[in-house]
Amino acid sequence: MKLDPDNKLDILEVLQDLEHYRPRRKGWVWRKHVPEQRIGPFVYQDSSENLKNSVPLPAAEYFSDIDPQCDLIITTEIASGRFEDDLRRMRMAAWHGADHIMVIRTTGQSHIDGLIEGTPEGVGGIPISRKQIRASRKALDAIEDEVGRPINFHSYVSGVAGPEIAVLFAEEGVNGAHQDPQYNVLYRDINMHRSFVDAAESKKIMADAGILQLDGAHNANATAKEAWKVTPELFVQHAVNTAYSIEAGMDAGQIALSTVPPTAPPAPKLRLDLPYAVALRELFEGYKFRAQQNTRYMEADTQETTVSHVLDTLISRLTETDIQSTITPDEGRNIPWHYNNIAGVNTARQTLMGLDGLDQLLEVKQDGPFREQVRELKERALLFLEEILDAGGYYTAVEAGQFVDSGYYPERKGDGIVREPDGGDCANTVIAREDDYGAPVCSHFGRNSYADKAGKPCADYGGCTLCDPAKIRYIDEVDDEDNVLQRLKQPLAEREQGLLRPEVEKHGDGVVCLTLFIPDEPHTAKQAALELALHMGLNNPEVINQRIMHPAEGSLFEIKGTVDLYIEKQALPAYSQIRPLTDNEIEAWVRPRDIHIVAATVGEDEHTVGLHEILDIKHGGIEKYGFHCHNLGSSVSIEQVLDKAEETDVGAVLISVVITHADVHKQHMRNLARQASERGLAGKVLLIAGGPRIDDKLARECGLDAGFGHGATGREVASFMVRRWREQAA
Amino acid sequence: MSSLDRPDDFETRREHLRELSDEALHARFWHLVQGIVEPLVEEARTHTSPGIERSVLLRMGFTSAEAKQLIDGMQEQGLLGHGAGHLLLQLAKRNNLTVREAGEALLQGDYWGELQP
Repeated sequence: MKLDPDNKLDILEVLQDLEHYRPRRKGWVWRKHVPEQRIGPFVYQDSSENLKNSVPLPAAEYFSDIDPQCDLIITTEIASGRFEDDLRRMRMAAWHGADHIMVIRTTGQSHIDGLIEGTPEGVGGIPISRKQIRASRKALDAIEDEVGRPINFHSYVSGVAGPEIAVLFAEEGVNGAHQDPQYNVLYRDINMHRSFVDAAESKKIMADAGILQLDGAHNANATAKEAWKVTPELFVQHAVNTAYSIEAGMDAGQIALSTVPPTAPPAPKLRLDLPYAVALRELFEGYKFRAQQNTRYMEADTQETTVSHVLDTLISRLTETDIQSTITPDEGRNIPWHYNNIAGVNTARQTLMGLDGLDQLLEVKQDGPFREQVRELKERALLFLEEILDAGGYYTAVEAGQFVDSGYYPERKGDGIVREPDGGDCANTVIAREDDYGAPVCSHFGRNSYADKAGKPCADYGGCTLCDPAKIRYIDEVDDEDNVLQRLKQPLAEREQGLLRPEVEKHGDGVVCLTLFIPDEPHTAKQAALELALHMGLNNPEVINQRIMHPAEGSLFEIKGTVDLYIEKQALPAYSQIRPLTDNEIEAWVRPRDIHIVAATVGEDEHTVGLHEILDIKHGGIEKYGFHCHNLGSSVSIEQVLDKAEETDVGAVLISVVITHADVHKQHMRNLARQASERGLAGKVLLIAGGPRIDDKLARECGLDAGFGHGATGREVASFMVRRWREQAA
Repeated sequence: MSSLDRPDDFETRREHLRELSDEALHARFWHLVQGIVEPLVEEARTHTSPGIERSVLLRMGFTSAEAKQLIDGMQEQGLLGHGAGHLLLQLAKRNNLTVREAGEALLQGDYWGELQP
């Protein structure tokens, strides 16, 4: 399957022949750091290989459209509920620099005792099934070819079906997964014996398949009342899962600690979060670090969130980090919208490229309170471990409510999460292995009569699915209604007809977001804002963010709602496909040639602003390319303009015509064309007009070479001139 | 809810750690972690679960639906402690069947009586 940047991802092609699709590789892939890499005008210290296709940061247009890539993996989490919609989002995210795509599971999958099959729709994520992940991996294989960088696909090996999901992931080429039995115990109330016994098997399977493991400690940040106080416990949770993983056969390089800077402004973030981040990296030297952005203190204001995430990312750069995970800035108010996945990814890459080479500039001060804080955190964590052992071990400590207590350990508030060792989902389902216990398969953990023999444990019957993927049995669909082909009927029909609807999450969901300021006190303003949204045609309008600018002067609102509207593509007016040249291309032509331009606002017209925008370097006008601009000012006659043109041997004449009553603008343009022709300038000098009521067609009808209307930029004008001169020179 | 409510007594509790070097502190940290993890690992070494056994059958070439049905049946007979894959492979060998054929036979209700290790 091959993607074309000009065409949409063909979901039917993804689904075609899926029963025979095999992933092209197993295991995790890191970015390749390229030291001292020259990209455009700069040399980068912390960059990796460039992409083949991408959408650069907005400001890139001032820097030769470069799109440098940092050396950390960048993660985005996707949770639309329909994998067929997720795939488009994955492609967009990859074009913006994400190479770790984490697919969130549907609510409740943790408690399903077995695998889900087919492609049912999920809530807050997709049901992870063989078909959904195989289709996603297939699409990602095509997307990674399109962008030119491997993409790591990730989901969750948790819940009561952990070992089965681990097998599924190993078979289907999933590259990363969360696996942490403590998550099951604390947050899913799954029986602790079952969770740990299953976890060892899951980890062994992941270890052999090269799947990178993330732990679940970050959930304590997200749930603790005061997240900065749970830090001593976080070391403990990381350590329990890490040590358990090593025992199950994982290499240190496969174990990534999921760590979140625990605070957000107005808290003194760096002063609290940096000692924690450093203590963690010292205690866990040799392991990988997945830095997650903070979710605990996210409110509805996406700008506030973004600033916190920039600071989180700064902490990543100040310490050792391997993966920069991103949180969508709208997670505090809804299930993430796809353009906010892109916003989150861009926050990370913009920050990381801006911080390139930071360690050459500064280092963290080691004397003073910082070092004491680092030490104190480690000691508090160690005391936590002592108490677990004193209590009689992990299970009894959990039963005693030692975990996720809101006190700053050893302080205790008595509000920790309590779980009974013999309680929870799937209690009493662990079974002692008999003396003859055997499992004739690879990647099996623990006592196994087949592991004692020479050769592979699966040799007796020709190999397990991990050795012989042809043995994998594929189930396509199990539900006639709740499946991808049913869901695709409407979207595909609409695409066929050329219908376009707005969307944020799923095809054609019709959700739009409106920003408006209402100049009144907050409650009145809110009512007015909602009422206005209704009048504007939004169904079910809902305020998703309100920021008080002043208690009496007014509030800013963001309102979401749905519109049951579509546009027929065929009915849209044709538009010019001509893209302006890059600044560099224009300058390369203009500067060495000493080109003069004469410009003026003609007729009885005092408007000068538009022309300044086109000419002046201050306004991004064409002066910056090296044009010599002679601006004659306002109310200039056509004669004066052409006199100057002859006198200075110009390349082009630019006239600004703003006033249009009695069609005076057309008259001016015709005059210019006629008089230039009479003086023998036509064909030698480009004749160009601009103004709010001018367009290219009209200017040409009046005999000029080009016309530029409202919103035209100097770059567009210069692009036209350079293109024309190039043609003439050719 | 735990009844434990305790003030921050870090300064008195830390007395025995105060003089340790960072290296010694790290070593002690990991030593304690090992002590916590060991009994958990030992339980995993010597126990199994329906989820683990289903994952074994998946690896032996059965679908999730087939694995579930087979494991449920074996569990009813109290046989899972021998290992589902082991039971199946022994059944296949005794009857000169492939593993797949043995599993399909069980799914059709045959051989359950002789499903002994």
